[in-house]
Amino acid sequence: MFSEAGLSVSLRVRDGAVAAALIRSTRMVQAARLFAKRPPTEVLHLLPTVFSLCGTAQAMTGLNAMEKAAAITASPAQKAARTLLVLAETVTEHGLTIARDWPALAGGQPRLDHAKRIRGALAGLRGTLYPQGDWLSPGGGTLTADCDRICAAIDQARQAITQLMGHDIDELVLPIAFQAWLERDPTHLPGLVQAKGWAGIGAAPFLPMPEMGPPDLAARMATDRDGQYLARPDCAGRVFETGSLAHWSWHPLISDLMDRFGAGLLPRLAARLVALAEGLREMEELVRDLKPEPACSLPGLSGEGLTLTEAARGLLAHRVVLNDGKISQYQILAPTEWNFHPEGPLVRALHGLPADPDLEWKVRLLINALDPCVACAITLE
Amino acid sequence: MCMAVPSRVVSIDGQMAVVEAFGQTRQTSLMMLDEPVAVGDYLILGAGGNFAAEKVSEETALAAIDYLSQVLEDGLA
Repeated sequence: MFSEAGLSVSLRVRDGAVAAALIRSTRMVQAARLFAKRPPTEVLHLLPTVFSLCGTAQAMTGLNAMEKAAAITASPAQKAARTLLVLAETVTEHGLTIARDWPALAGGQPRLDHAKRIRGALAGLRGTLYPQGDWLSPGGGTLTADCDRICAAIDQARQAITQLMGHDIDELVLPIAFQAWLERDPTHLPGLVQAKGWAGIGAAPFLPMPEMGPPDLAARMATDRDGQYLARPDCAGRVFETGSLAHWSWHPLISDLMDRFGAGLLPRLAARLVALAEGLREMEELVRDLKPEPACSLPGLSGEGLTLTEAARGLLAHRVVLNDGKISQYQILAPTEWNFHPEGPLVRALHGLPADPDLEWKVRLLINALDPCVACAITLE
Repeated sequence: MCMAVPSRVVSIDGQMAVVEAFGQTRQTSLMMLDEPVAVGDYLILGAGGNFAAEKVSEETALAAIDYLSQVLEDGLA
């Protein structure tokens, strides 16, 4: 029987506060080892299905790693198309969380109609860019630059998000507009969090992931014989946080909120909105870099490739070793292994939370804000 | 890892379906899907399994199931 992988968080309460948070994971962090001996095309076909939650980011990171190992450089237009697809997935994932999960976490009903509209708007982008279906062709597939259709899809997503939020998303991430929105509509999760005085819950020492990833990433992955690093990554003992807050902490809205609330719940929720707004804006800019191109082919080369992608949930790393065009090693390090590390950002955020009647609700909010890619159970001890 | 197991649709009742994967059956909502779903189709479920996220071709689903079977056999699951 194939059990669904997941996370569990056990909280130990002493003297009216969380004294310890224990995270257990059944995630299959070494499963990618079985990609060894398979041809790259087969693995590229499997990646978006097997890792479907961030399937585009997983497939693109794998494709980029294979190209790096084979010393192939994709053209600027191909890179723009790939970034567009990853951003479409990021926007969709954040949109789904905000439409489906946030209302439920605030005690309301999921807004599935909005969730469906956001997803539907961007779902056809892959087929528009690569109508022959060869989007995962090493070196680049047959790229079609139907800019009008792509812009229309982005605009549809923008309209669906505006309707969901009741506000233009670009304006919403301006500090003054955000504050006014919070006060005007306390039924939205961020408004509720502010009204309840929970904006700063979970604030703890903030260790954001460096923009280019951990400096020792390549060496640690290359020497990770038993998979310990993939399961519990660190950098000289530090466990970084990755994801929206870490990536957008410099943004004026997030910087303002972190000045007031630290790395607490409200800045985390706001960082998801910033990721959504900035993702849409970058997509619109990338359309200009597209141009039609024929497909390329992957020569049977040998080499090693490590690539990083800022995916919806944070930094995703794939490392591949090719021998004569065949895969001999494959490793994946996903953002959840950082954020839900037994000594990582979730544990830091939970430590010291008061054990009041709302404790489980607050824990669920913090878990959702850090956004695991698997189900996460909570137990109180 | 955030791995998804393609699940085969066993029965459909309105917006809900019973799906099966590796001998386990569960209920999932079809509300997030735009395309029509029929018994025998393969679905990828979102995290937690409450909603079906995507319909995949039989060929793609069987290739993924074959790989996941090997993950299981090798004790990596």
